[in-house]
Amino acid sequence: MQQWKVLFRKELKESLRNYKWLWIPVVFVLLGITQPLTSYYFADIIEQFGALPEGAIVDIPPPTSAEVLAGTLGQFNQIGLLVLVLAFMGTVAAEKNDGTLIMVLAKPVAHFNYLTAKWVHVLVLAVSSFLLGYAAAVYYTILLIGSISFSQVVISALVYCLWLCFVMTLAVCLSALLNSSGLAAFATLATALILSIASIYAPDLVKGSPGMLTVYSEQYLYAGEPEDGFWLGVIVTAGLIFIMMSAAIYLFKNQEAAKNAG
Amino acid sequence: MNELIASLQEVNWPLIAPLFLLSLILMITALVDCLKRGQTNGPKILWILVIVFINFFGPIVYFLFGRRNNE
Amino acid sequence: MNLIETKGLAKQFNETAAVKDLNLSVREGACTALLGPNGAGKTTALNMLTGLMKPTQGTIHFHANYPGDRREYLGYLPQHPKFFGWMSGLEYVTFAAQLAGLEKEEAIARAKEMLDLVGLTDNRAKKTAGYSGGMKQRLGIAQALVHSPKMIMLDEPVSALDPIGRREILELMKELKKRTSILFSTHVLHDAEEVSDDIYIMKKGEVVAEGSLVSLQEKYRQPAIVIETERNLADWAQLIEDKAWLRHMKTEETKATLTVENIENARTELLNDASLQQLNIVKFEVMKTSLEDLFMQVMN
Repeated sequence: MQQWKVLFRKELKESLRNYKWLWIPVVFVLLGITQPLTSYYFADIIEQFGALPEGAIVDIPPPTSAEVLAGTLGQFNQIGLLVLVLAFMGTVAAEKNDGTLIMVLAKPVAHFNYLTAKWVHVLVLAVSSFLLGYAAAVYYTILLIGSISFSQVVISALVYCLWLCFVMTLAVCLSALLNSSGLAAFATLATALILSIASIYAPDLVKGSPGMLTVYSEQYLYAGEPEDGFWLGVIVTAGLIFIMMSAAIYLFKNQEAAKNAG
Repeated sequence: MNELIASLQEVNWPLIAPLFLLSLILMITALVDCLKRGQTNGPKILWILVIVFINFFGPIVYFLFGRRNNE
Repeated sequence: MNLIETKGLAKQFNETAAVKDLNLSVREGACTALLGPNGAGKTTALNMLTGLMKPTQGTIHFHANYPGDRREYLGYLPQHPKFFGWMSGLEYVTFAAQLAGLEKEEAIARAKEMLDLVGLTDNRAKKTAGYSGGMKQRLGIAQALVHSPKMIMLDEPVSALDPIGRREILELMKELKKRTSILFSTHVLHDAEEVSDDIYIMKKGEVVAEGSLVSLQEKYRQPAIVIETERNLADWAQLIEDKAWLRHMKTEETKATLTVENIENARTELLNDASLQQLNIVKFEVMKTSLEDLFMQVMN
């Protein structure tokens, strides 16, 4: 446990020094407040700058709070996720390539500690950034658009968090198993994209897929009650996170840390 | 023109201010990091231009790709 | 007492055998050198000992007095040590100490002590990204030593350094011998001769000579006679080929190097050899071969 804390503190310190703990939350908060603001001023913006004929009446029904928040989740799922995956694609792979990993593993370091310390740190940063951004979005939405029930907001956030954890776990695992940061990022984003596409075009076939969690979290905002398949998705995703992490630790341990230098 | 000024006055500035403030924080952090760093991936001056002139995405791209990993 | 012993250790990379049948023993308290040209398998051997590589065959046995994960008792300095550039030297060595299980206060105290030992006290607050090659090497030694390992392994610790840096590290190694066992690799014979007690000479993954420095020097310090003549001595060489006192002979046109059993007999006999005299002797020198001659053979 002592060793785990040392490794975790190293991750934390590193991300503080290279400003990850500043800029990633800021990006999420910016994304979070942009969506309600543009929704609110949408009609004005069209009126001022849109090429509408003189005298045309702009009659766009104001969006509901649920729609605005669902739109925010969509933003997080694109730019937010991209930023997170790219920021952490090298968490292990880069240490492998720059030679710092063998310095660490030459000490009596458990592979489990090394990998889970990184994993927990990545999840904490990702989830904190998301929650901050989402809180900002909720605040602006309530202020500008209208109120929404507390439980709807919290549960949709939790479900979305699980999806975020799933993607970031995949990113950490692939970073540990592959030698290239870029490949790890690409494989993670491709997987996330495929899962999302499947959940849009064949939702009935992939009820338990992690990709459905984004759908479930948005639907919860609208309906306020769990969709059919909601719990299945939650359980399957939590299970997959556990399995991916266990497999990655096992495979990482059996990997050769040192490369053949000749 | 008057209409535009009038509508700008209608804008709720306390609501918009955080947007500018956070963008500014993002930009300044990236700029400070870039200037303090010994070497960047690619010419430093180019990164400074990217950070300053491309709102929001400029600093992000710098943070993601402008820095060497182990520094 | 042997701290670490390997039996039939081998490492295969696809088609190439990097290390073949390595039987290595490192005595506690001794400084052992793995000497050999690049590509001899020294780094691979060290990587297997640290556990960073898994042997294809063979066993590694660490002394039973030190049970559990052998990394607890080992310190390792790779050929090109790499650090987290955003950490200061002191932070890195403290981090290394804590990884090895030291409590924070103790880790900091030990780290300061080690940095003092390697002469980095003045630079300990500086980011390691700004360290020079020699400073990184010394920082690498400090982090290897910080948890008081029973043995430290240094991979080519001086090869990347300028003469002054080289001198400093060799002096430091002499100092370190008093605290811990050392196993280091090098491709320079003089470095090995200067600090080591035991030497393994490796070539193409195999050990070609091994023993204590003294015994190796003794063994390869054979009496030799160098003869140079005006005429080609190839025909004459065939005549003496079977002489009992001759161990080994190397000839090239007008020069012959003879390794002999008994220098007195050989000298008397050779100087009275009429057929040799007919070749017009230019030079007749009695000398001793050195470890260097053997090493040159290995290197070529």
